[in-house]
Amino acid sequence: MVQLTRRNFLIATGWIAGGVTVLYKLGSRAKAVAPTIIFPDKEMASTWIQIRPDGGCLMYCPRMDMGQNANTGLAQIVAEELNISTNDIEAVQPSTSDVPPLAVTAGSMSLTAFSRPMAIAAASLRENMRERAASRLKLSIREVLDDQAGFRATDGRLVRYADLVNEAPVFVEIDEHSSLPDLYAFDTQRQKKQVGQPVKPLGTRDIVTGAPLYAADVPMEGVLFGRAVRPPVRNAEIAAVDTRGVTDVPGFLKLVQEDNFVGVVCKTPGSVNAAMSKIKVSWHLKQTINQDEIDRLVNVDDELERGDLEHTLHDEAHRPNADWAVDLRFDVQVQSHAAQEPRAAIARFNEEGNEEGTKHLLEIWTGTQDPWAMKRFAALHTGLDEEDIVIYPQRMGGGFGGREHYEVEQDAVRLTSAIGRPVKVQWTRKDEFMAARNRPASAHRLRLAADETGRLTDWWHAYVTGHVVLARERLPRWLLPVARLREDMGVVRGTNPAYETTHLRVEYKDVDLPVDLGVWRSLNAAPSLFAIESAMDELALQLGEDPVEYKISQMRGELTRLKVCLERVRDMAKRYPVPEGEGYGRGFACGIYEGRCFVAVSADVYVDRDKERITVKHMCCAQDVGMAVNPDQLSAQMESNMAWSVGMALLERLEVGDDDIQSSNFDNYPIVRMADMPSVETEVIDQPAVPPAGAGEVALIAGPAAIANAIRNATGYRPLSLPISFADIAYGQD
Amino acid sequence: MKLKVNGVEYEIDPDWHDENLLDVLRDYLGLTGTRFSCGIGNCGACMVQIDGLSINSCLASLSMAAGKEILTIEGMAADDGTLHPLQQAWIDEAVPQCGYCQSGQLMRALSLLKENADPDDADIDQAMNGNLCRCGSYPRIRRSIKKAAIVLREAR
Ligand code: FES
Ligand code: FES
Repeated sequence: MVQLTRRNFLIATGWIAGGVTVLYKLGSRAKAVAPTIIFPDKEMASTWIQIRPDGGCLMYCPRMDMGQNANTGLAQIVAEELNISTNDIEAVQPSTSDVPPLAVTAGSMSLTAFSRPMAIAAASLRENMRERAASRLKLSIREVLDDQAGFRATDGRLVRYADLVNEAPVFVEIDEHSSLPDLYAFDTQRQKKQVGQPVKPLGTRDIVTGAPLYAADVPMEGVLFGRAVRPPVRNAEIAAVDTRGVTDVPGFLKLVQEDNFVGVVCKTPGSVNAAMSKIKVSWHLKQTINQDEIDRLVNVDDELERGDLEHTLHDEAHRPNADWAVDLRFDVQVQSHAAQEPRAAIARFNEEGNEEGTKHLLEIWTGTQDPWAMKRFAALHTGLDEEDIVIYPQRMGGGFGGREHYEVEQDAVRLTSAIGRPVKVQWTRKDEFMAARNRPASAHRLRLAADETGRLTDWWHAYVTGHVVLARERLPRWLLPVARLREDMGVVRGTNPAYETTHLRVEYKDVDLPVDLGVWRSLNAAPSLFAIESAMDELALQLGEDPVEYKISQMRGELTRLKVCLERVRDMAKRYPVPEGEGYGRGFACGIYEGRCFVAVSADVYVDRDKERITVKHMCCAQDVGMAVNPDQLSAQMESNMAWSVGMALLERLEVGDDDIQSSNFDNYPIVRMADMPSVETEVIDQPAVPPAGAGEVALIAGPAAIANAIRNATGYRPLSLPISFADIAYGQD
Repeated sequence: MKLKVNGVEYEIDPDWHDENLLDVLRDYLGLTGTRFSCGIGNCGACMVQIDGLSINSCLASLSMAAGKEILTIEGMAADDGTLHPLQQAWIDEAVPQCGYCQSGQLMRALSLLKENADPDDADIDQAMNGNLCRCGSYPRIRRSIKKAAIVLREAR
């Protein structure tokens, strides 16, 4: 059993059972260098890294892996500090009982918040080893120089970490008296061996050989299979259930019907499918679900007319009656995460405690962005103490912001407690669509004005969108009204203009939509930047200017990093001339993410009037997210974001029918396929002196607008609504 | 009923005879490298080879697979652990992101290179179009297939 072996392994190495040489406590000094309020347990960074008796390094991965490979970047930093190779680090994903709570893996925060504490921990460990080496060699510390996985004395003698560790693994101890060690990873003068290198992501070999990695892969003695009926939206209540014929299904074992829950347990996965097909449920809905209702709720023009936009982000010398050169409305439809892995969980109750004699009464194997929240949820749900529950987080087959909640896990817990055997719940693709906490639809009214010299003077961006971080489905009902008095940080993301203007108003309203909402890759930044960068492109064209040069000329002076990105992408794109002939075009867009990531994108499209098809041929992307810990992985994330940009611009739209979610699989919610994928060229702009920021969702903010601007360039038609279909394109002349 | 997977013959319990090949591989035999994603033959995550042809195992019945040679991702490397050139190229080009689709991608790429020793972009796009990758690793898949193709041609 994978997990149990892993635990045995940890016990064997002395990680979780005594034998620890030095118990670690982080002092105030280290705290001061990692001021991250949402990561309250940063003290523990040092316990994540140990030198084993054989001299190897074992590292707990503090991030939940779902493809962004943040742990690889952290391992590179640890390796840099310890003078070892990243691939020599053994990386382990901890369970909730192995380490104190870690912050949710979300919002591209991983590297930003974790890199420095981990660098300090690893560097302290290195210095501790150096002291050991000095005393063994009877030299002063200054005479012990760095060497691969150990030290070299000035007299030429070598010692390796393995020579310096006895039976027990070594952790480091830092307290308020400890001095801050030199941090190699952050030393801009230093020639680095790990940081900045295209190190291969951890676990790649396991992936290409088909090793068990995801929740549904966990082998489990005597496991049964189950599933529950998913509601179309979370606040739906079961009105009626018809279960006739379920008990006759071969392999059927148990029907579980309790408050707003209907599920089955069966002997095999196929019998679960057969049993579930017999169950018919009708729902009480609190809100009508259909597309018209969504369109009505986000109608920004209606709200503007009523003066009903309740939040104002900027209001500086606003002139509502300026002479608007651009006055356009942009719309974005609801989108689903559609991660490749439909969620799955295994749950097991253990009256006796598990094989290792630890006392967890409830064990859950699942892929989640927030295992500790999962544990709290499970405690609330079952009435067990949190200490009696353990979550074993597994790799996720894509997260993109969608996997923070106790759902498939809850199904598994209900079913296992009803049958008294371990139960695996594997959601179907339709379940996954029904359960998605989608990106909300949004509508943006963008008005821009310029003076006679072409200088941007007025900016008015009004928008309506569904809630994001404060979505109904994400918070307890009693907390919602209070929480919503404040800004929804997902809804406001990406709306701060990068351009200089005298008169400025940005206002919004966020509303409940009849579909479930939540955090989707880049939150509101991509929809807002689609509107903003399209409008700026249009303004430039109206002024007879080149859009790229115009944007650069109007950019706020302090945004040199953004400017460099845009210039880079302009130059990269220049190398491929746009083909002559009808239907070819090129567009650009740029943007700032979370105030510290900068990106620009170009897109080349071909709009084929005969085949009635829009194809994105080539994209260039230049990005600056600070220190480039792993340039190749940054490129991989940029490529990934280009794929999502094509999907967002041309394909993705959750189909909502009458009181139902109709998108149920990849045939009716198309995502980008190989043939849709443009060639992509990326450039990473390294800032060795700026702490690294995560790049998982950055480039998506500029991609869709670049594609829209390319379509404008190719056809003269300004795309106003995503996804753009060929049928939308109104050819002006004919 | 017997199933031969990666050269090993397994007896399948009658309780599992009506299951599809994917569920038998994963939940009966514990060969979990083949993955479930859409269940309707649309995504390729569950792809295996049956007698050398790549097949979406979520749509394959056990009876149609019985008696044939089934190859899964777990059987792609040589017995001594040496990776297939495609697997090696996948590592060298750092193709996987979340990794979930990659067993299926590799299975499809394997049969592509059997059919066509020197595929160009259009051949690759066509062959691989049934294998979804939500993470968008497509540019690297293209590169890796070409790289592995060279290695395989040179080895001939
Ligand atoms: S799971 Fe079989 S093709 Fe998608
Ligand atoms: S690597 Fe994540 S789906 Fe392909």
